[in-house]
Order: sequence, then structure tokens, then C-alpha cells
Amino acid sequence: MNTLGNRGFRKALVLPMSIGKGFRNIFISIARFFSSLFHQIAAGDLWVKSSLLLCGMGYFGRRQYGKGILATLLQLAALCLFPVFFLPYLRKFDTLGDVERQTIFNPETLKNEVNAFDDSFQILLFGVVGILFLFACLILYVKNISWVSALQKKAEEGKHINSLREDFSSLFHEKFHITLLSLPVICVVVFSVVPLLVMILAGFTNFDRFHFPPARLFTWVGLDNFHALFESSLTATFGYSFRKILLWTLIWAFLATFTNYYGGILLALFINHRQTRFKKFWRTAFVIPIAVPQFVSLLLVRNFFANTGIVNTLFSQWGVTDFFRNLGLISSGAAYIPFLTDPNWAKAMIILINMWVGIPYMMLLSTGVLMNIPGDLLESAQIDGANAFQRFRKITMPYIRFVTGPYLVSSLIGNINNFNIIYLLTNDIYVTSDQLLANSNAREVDLLVTWLYRLTQDFNNYKMASVLGMAIFLICAGFTLLTFSRMNQGNKEETFQ
Amino acid sequence: MKKKAHHARWLSLSFRHGLLLLLSALWLLPVIWLLLCSFGIDKGPNIRSFFPEGYTLRHYQDLLGRQDSVSQFPRWFLNSLIIAVFNCVISSVFVLSTAYCMSCMRFPLRKPLMHIAIILNLFPGFLAMIAVYSVMKRLGLTDGNTGLIIIYSATSGLSYLVAKGFFDTIPRSLRESATIEGATEAIIFQKIILPLSRPIIVYTVISAFLAPWTDFIFANIMLPSKISAQKTVALGLYSMVSRVNINEYFARFCAGGVLVSIPISILFVIMQKFYVEGITGGAVKG
Repeated sequence: MNTLGNRGFRKALVLPMSIGKGFRNIFISIARFFSSLFHQIAAGDLWVKSSLLLCGMGYFGRRQYGKGILATLLQLAALCLFPVFFLPYLRKFDTLGDVERQTIFNPETLKNEVNAFDDSFQILLFGVVGILFLFACLILYVKNISWVSALQKKAEEGKHINSLREDFSSLFHEKFHITLLSLPVICVVVFSVVPLLVMILAGFTNFDRFHFPPARLFTWVGLDNFHALFESSLTATFGYSFRKILLWTLIWAFLATFTNYYGGILLALFINHRQTRFKKFWRTAFVIPIAVPQFVSLLLVRNFFANTGIVNTLFSQWGVTDFFRNLGLISSGAAYIPFLTDPNWAKAMIILINMWVGIPYMMLLSTGVLMNIPGDLLESAQIDGANAFQRFRKITMPYIRFVTGPYLVSSLIGNINNFNIIYLLTNDIYVTSDQLLANSNAREVDLLVTWLYRLTQDFNNYKMASVLGMAIFLICAGFTLLTFSRMNQGNKEETFQ
Repeated sequence: MKKKAHHARWLSLSFRHGLLLLLSALWLLPVIWLLLCSFGIDKGPNIRSFFPEGYTLRHYQDLLGRQDSVSQFPRWFLNSLIIAVFNCVISSVFVLSTAYCMSCMRFPLRKPLMHIAIILNLFPGFLAMIAVYSVMKRLGLTDGNTGLIIIYSATSGLSYLVAKGFFDTIPRSLRESATIEGATEAIIFQKIILPLSRPIIVYTVISAFLAPWTDFIFANIMLPSKISAQKTVALGLYSMVSRVNINEYFARFCAGGVLVSIPISILFVIMQKFYVEGITGGAVKG
């Protein structure tokens, strides 16, 4: 059973489980760190102690001039940068600015001039960056002391002290990870961590289209937006919409994931059955539709099923429309089937179309997995008298589930966040008739993500979008923890190396 | 008795293949319709019959030759290509180096970084993008290829898990013996790990190349002014089927869809092959 390529993935997801234990460990290690820090300072010689003032001193004392200059320069740069660049923003961080933008007629120049206004978004952004910067500097400062005192120890024991050249070449050996990871990590911090922090904080402000910088200010409002998410009044209906959309999101995520998962496995088994001829041909036939990019195929399908589209024309010619009308599935006055414009029809269609998109993927994946099932297992089961169904239930399925388990969880989360299908199929076409939903810019077919997207893109309602984003995060995190705590995985990361 | 068994076998065979034929017809129907619409004589969606009344190459000629304020397909193609090439290079480097560090090296920050990556991946992708957009707008980087390249490639380090899973299957003894021979980590990465990882490299490179072609959301956020010449293929083709344009441009949308599908589907099939090989086959088994 050495075919577990994504077990690293499985392992990585198990880890959040130990968060509780992690917190305790963090406190213990912080306490240990500080006690050893004080020991290091107390036992430090002049060079180490002077490093408290000027970070480079400890290196100069051990003739590491290059490093000494670098550390000193970095310290000076940080000391200059912080008060000049970040402090002005951090000062206004508590109110997010109080000078509103105004254009005033200046009688001297005979022109309209803009005053020196505060930009709340900029204050929020640079405030967050400033705080992170401060933290990074403090950590580096403290770390520097322990590095310098390690140098002192080395010098006292007469051990070899690296030259700059040796330090540099270690970046390609035992410190190669620093070389490889620096850029990706910095990019993730700049383009993911900082923006996410800003957006999370925006959930505690009144950042919406009435408070949209730079023209207007926004400010902290505490937990008001979280209350709004669970409460409903006649005009503000976020609570109502949130319940409805959350329910649909969950139904959708489960249905979409499991229909595709089992549909794909069944199809793969069906095609790979020994009685099936032309296996390659069938596989290709199912792969062709998913090779067409989703935005093309989905936009095409939505015209395929439009109210005045080709399917409706054919169905009314063949009498299918009348048949549905007699069954009461469409209203008696309707001349067409409202595939993507009626809430219930649209939801059913979205799930069916998702099967059309997703089953071939799963078929491909499980074909690969099926080919890797150890043949002797199946053979010996057959010799022992297990019939085809028993072999499927007791060997094939557990094997597939074992290998694709992590994939199942990640596709559940992927479906909670499945933006393309819903947005491309229903945007511009689906209009809600539920006034309560419309009041909070939601529609029956929206998932939490598409609602979030439309709130930001069409309505500039960042404060509620942020709260929704946190809700999505909590749901996804909950599912991840729940599934993987049941799998009881040990540290198997290196078993196969 | 024997005849009966033969009969049952024949029945199950024909049922099996009949069902497959029906299913594959269902799956291929929209694709066939896409081809028919792109070659049919109607400019808008053909709603009278499944097969068009006549066939023409005019929509392909219009798409490639005649450009107007809505349709600028060659330009969109170029934009997507530029973005895809840059993203391909940057993302592949980020993904493979992150995966190597997380799989093959041991350092104090490894576990914390992996935890942070998991947590970040649980947030909906474009929540961060909204703030990034606000910053880029102030910097003047929206409405152009640069902004999109940054958006696609900057956070690609977070999706290292598939490649890491693959690196995990490369026997440690290989690396250990190389270390004893005096090879540095950089040399092990270049000379041992990468040559053994062809499936996962191909997978990473192609998926990075395909991302900008198939993405719609990020492009929609980052190109707010909707000037036709700045669009990517996805965004441009989307504008062709908007309520205003659909009756004039639907056939051209289909033609464009066919034209981008051909290279994408070839790459996609190659990628899938290597993906399955990568996650199920592993590299050299120790």
C-alpha cells in the first residue's frame, strides 16, 4: 500500500487538532524562552550586553564584520522607519481618522482645493502593517541577543566561527530553506495575511458604501455587524438571509460533493469493468466536456437552458413542457420551463449541472486509484468465495475511501466555496422575488461566497462581507477539524520515505 | 442451459454499452451544441432547432479579423498568454521550493508555517483579494496585466500540498547517501529530487499555466474599468454573452470558446495524466 501520494496533505490537516495542547506548549516555551534570555544577558560579556543597544556589536566582537554592519543598518532603518512612516497612522488607529474630505474654494488661487483629509482605509491598512512591523522588529531584536550569546559561547569554547562567506554558503546547505522560502513567505504575508487581517478588522467597522473612503470616513463599531448577521427587522434582513443561504450552502455542499464522489466512482467502475469494450473511447467521451474551460461550458449551458433557449423549444415541441405542467412542476400559465429562473428548478439544475462538470473529474481520479488496487487482494478474496458485490464493498470501496478521503474533505470545502458554478449560471439571469432576501442583496440560489462577492462588488458592503467571510472560515475550519479528528492519524509523514 | 447463460451475458453486455452510450451522449450534447453554434449561420443563440439551417466559417473570421468595442479576441488571447507565462514561471518556482522545504528539510518554523498555510486556505480566496484590490487601485496597478500576474502568482506558495505529497514518497535513503557523498541541499534539490519528480513538475507547471485562462473572479475584480483591450479571454468572452451583446455575439462567443478549448484541453489531458501518476504512482519506491 505505497500509493498514498497525498498523505502529506492528510497529515497537514490533522495538526490543528492539537491546538489546545499547542496553547499550553506555547506558554511554557515563552516562559522558558524569557528565562533563558535573562540568563544569556546576565552571563553575556561586554559585546553581548552592548548588543542590547546596538544590535551589531555582538558580531563585531567576534570579527563578523559583515553581519555586524548588516544588523546595525537594519536596526537604524527600523528606528527611522517606524516613527516617520507608521506612527502617524498608528496614532489615528483608535478612531480611523476624524478629518473628513472637503473641497473648499480657495479665494487666493480661485480654485477648489481638497483639505488634508484622513483616509480610513489607509489608516487601517498601515496600522495593521505597522503593528506587524513592530512585532517583527521585537522578535528580531530578542532573537539577535540569543544569536549573539550563542556566538559568545562558541568563542569561549574555542569553536570555529563562520566567516561571512561560510554563512553565505550555508544558505545553500543547512539553511537552504531560508533561501527557498523567503520570497514565497514574504509574498504570502503581503498578499494574503495582511489583506486578510485588514478585511477581518473591517468587520468591526462600518465600512460600507455610505462610509466609503477616501470621500467618507469609517470607524469602529464593535460587534454591531455580528448582531446584524443574526437579527432581522423589516428593513435590515441579514439574519433572515443568512439562515436561508447558510442552509442552502450546506445542502449544496453535501449534495454536490457526494453526488460527484459516488457518481465518479461508479462511472469509473463501470468503464473499467472487464466486460466493457472500448474503455479508452468511453473515458475520452467523458473527459472532453471537462476539458472545455468552465466559464465557456457554464455560460453555454446557461443559454442552453434559458427560458427562450433551445431545450425549452425542443421540450415544448416534444410535449415535455405540457407533461411537467400536468404534473404541477411548473405553473399552469407558464409557456416554458423556468430552468434557471425559478428558485427550486434553479437549485435542482445547479446540482445536476455540477454533476455534469464534476463526475468526469472523479472518474479520472478513481480510475487511477482503481488501477493501483493490489490485484492479489481481489484474487484471494475471489478464491475465498467472495462475490463481486462483496469484493466491491469490502476491498475496493475501503481502498478508494482510504486514498481519496482527504480529497473528499477538500472537495467539500471547495464546494462550500464553489463560486464559478453558481455565479456563471445565475448572474444577470436569476432575480429573486423574495423581498426580504432582496433587502440584504441576497438571492435564493446564492451560496455564502457568491453573496459575499456580490456584496463587495456590486454594493460595496465590506463590513457585512467581512462578517460573512469569517462565518465561511468557521464553517470550513469546523468541517476540517471534525473529519480529521475521526481519522486518528499518527505521525505517518515519513513512513514511506 | 448453456444457451441461457449466453443469452444473459449478451443482455448484460448490450445493457452496459447502451447505458454508456446514453450517458456519454448526455455529457457530449452541450459540447456538440457549442460546435454547431460556432459554425451555424445564426449570430445569436439558435432557438428554433438543434441543428442550424446552414453552416459558415464567418464567425471565426469575424472573431479573428474584425474587431470592435466588444470583440477583441486576439488582444484578449495575448493578455491571457502573457499573464499565463509569467504566472507559470513564478508559481512553479514558489510551489516546488515550498514543497521541497516542507517535505525534505527539517527546521523549527516548519510546522507553524504549515499550520498557518492550512488556516489561510480556509478563508475564501477573494476576501483577501478585495483589500489587495483597494491597495493596488491606489498604486495604479489595476486594469493591466501586472496586477493580475501579482494576484495569481503571489500566494501560490500556499498550494504546495500536492507536490509535497509527491516529494514525501521519494526515499530518504537517496538524499542521505547524497549527503554522505558531500552534496549540499541545493544540489540534492537540483540533481536528485527535481529529476525524479517529472510528473509533479509537469502537473505544477501546467496547472499554473492554465489558472489565468480559466479564472473569472480575480480578473473581474482586478479589471474594474472593463475596457475591452485589457480583458483576459475569460472576461472578454463573458462580456459577449451579456444581455446587451448576446444576440449579436453569441456565435462568436462559441467560436472563441472552441478556439481556447483546443489548446487548454490538450494541456488539461496531459496534466490529468501526470496528476494521477503523481498522486497514485509516486516516484522511485525504496
